[in-house]
Amino acid sequence: MSNPFLTSTAKPGYGTIYLALLPPSTPRLRTASYQYPLKLVSPVPTRTAGAPAHLVHMVYLLTYGGGLVAGDSITVDVTLEPTTRLVLLTQGSTKLFKAPGRDVVSKQCMTVNLAPGSALCYLPDPVQPFRHSCFAQRQVYNVVVPGGAEQTVGNLCVLDWVCNGRPANGEKWSFHRYGSRNEIYLAHPDGKRRLLLRDNVLLDDHGLDGSIASRMSELAVLGTLILHGPLFHSLGRFFMAEFKDLPRVGGRKWDSSSESGDEDMDPATSRRAARQEQETADGLLWSAASLRGCVVVKFGSREVEGGRQWVRAMLIEEGTVAREFGDKSLLCLR
Amino acid sequence: MTTASLHALLILSDSALPLGSFAFSSGLESFLAHNKQRHTNSHARLTAFDAFVEQSISNIASTALPYVLTAYDDPTQLEDLDNDFDASTPCTVARRASVSQGRALLGIWERALSTSAASTAPSQNAAKECTAFALAYKSAKPDAFGLQLNGHFPPLFGAACSALGLSAEDTAYLFLLNHAKALLSAAVRASVMGPYQSQAMLASSKLQACIRACIERERGARADDAAVTVPAMDLWMGRHELLYSRIFNS
Repeated sequence: MSNPFLTSTAKPGYGTIYLALLPPSTPRLRTASYQYPLKLVSPVPTRTAGAPAHLVHMVYLLTYGGGLVAGDSITVDVTLEPTTRLVLLTQGSTKLFKAPGRDVVSKQCMTVNLAPGSALCYLPDPVQPFRHSCFAQRQVYNVVVPGGAEQTVGNLCVLDWVCNGRPANGEKWSFHRYGSRNEIYLAHPDGKRRLLLRDNVLLDDHGLDGSIASRMSELAVLGTLILHGPLFHSLGRFFMAEFKDLPRVGGRKWDSSSESGDEDMDPATSRRAARQEQETADGLLWSAASLRGCVVVKFGSREVEGGRQWVRAMLIEEGTVAREFGDKSLLCLR
Repeated sequence: MTTASLHALLILSDSALPLGSFAFSSGLESFLAHNKQRHTNSHARLTAFDAFVEQSISNIASTALPYVLTAYDDPTQLEDLDNDFDASTPCTVARRASVSQGRALLGIWERALSTSAASTAPSQNAAKECTAFALAYKSAKPDAFGLQLNGHFPPLFGAACSALGLSAEDTAYLFLLNHAKALLSAAVRASVMGPYQSQAMLASSKLQACIRACIERERGARADDAAVTVPAMDLWMGRHELLYSRIFNS
């Protein structure tokens, strides 16, 4: 008799998410399987008021202990069939615990295959590497190029961010090694693929304590937001426009002391002014670039909370994410 | 080293080579503008610049050197490397700097250097690939995925060095030294230091050790593994566009 609890392919740390499309238009979570130390939790799918035609599925990526112990390895394979929508979330920052040596690396590897018209919204909590941890993660997004004109390319809104550890314990970028790579490939149905975007960050102390901190110029959190696909065009345009509108560096701030003119500001402009003021207060620096059909936003901040609130404020101000995926998609940014 | 490869090395290291590298500060100008309040006197600015040079060299080594050396070893991959480098540079200002120097190098290759390729088989092969790339670039035909060639500097530089008969070791050193020279020259023009101080820094054993350490670290790295090691550099570079006044293009 076969074992009813374990399939032969089940390996520790492996998980599979398969969001299928039942014709004509009902998405169904066909598979959400996982093995210790990984756990996947999927609440009942919801429809959002803003996009009632789409059922949005939500999956929490959890690890026992809230993080990865040295040597842990997590592998998640996600498949999204045409027009399905998935929100991936975490519950608290992913802690990376101390490794006994520099050669014991914890790994996290996620591969997402996006069929035409599908969408992934992945706004997790930051990764939190503790002192002397070693970690490497890789997120690969295979976006299938649509065959006909009636189909659109897959959509992505993914955030990847890391903080400096536990500052209350005196940690400040005091891990051995942290590597994170995000890649988007354009894939033809025949298997040919081409790199569309790669964001690869590697922080290695090369055996010198404090050498990473000296390179981070007072930043406590560092993040990259990647947007791709027609669903996020307006969000991408919003980031580019806001970036262009930032006050000039090194220019005189004529408006800081003047009181006049405040009354006739429209609400969006005054919210922008408030946001920019907050950016200055939090020491938040960001830049945005539009390239190869993607928009890449990079940011760094003196405090984790400053970074979190900034991303949240920007996404809420523009509105696409909450409208298309529901307020819960922003849970980790709260 | 043969006289022929020494000759090529000196030509490629010459600041008179019309690449336009002097127009770029690789984020230095933006770094200085962002930290104006912190660097109140010239001493503080010098110390900060010292750290900046090392970080900038190590970042360029980890992001671009693998592309230089992969193209040097196998110039047939030039088009793929160009695509991958373009995909891996998500910063408007850095892309502009790389593409403008890459295009300048393509022009120099076609008009001036292509007739002077070394006679060995790998050099001849690299020369052929450079010329083919220049042609394909001019035709501007998108590939099956709708993506075009961009003419990024690092892979082209590697292939051109191979074509002119430089050793891989010299190519790597030259690439990083040229970057350091551009930075130091920018520092003089941004009035961080005087020209003598800048030459002293360029000649120092500290800078040499830094370049050697970076090359050693990237030894054997594949282009796929190229990574940003100083993320703040991307922020400085990206925010260069926000400066109130600018004297450099990056």
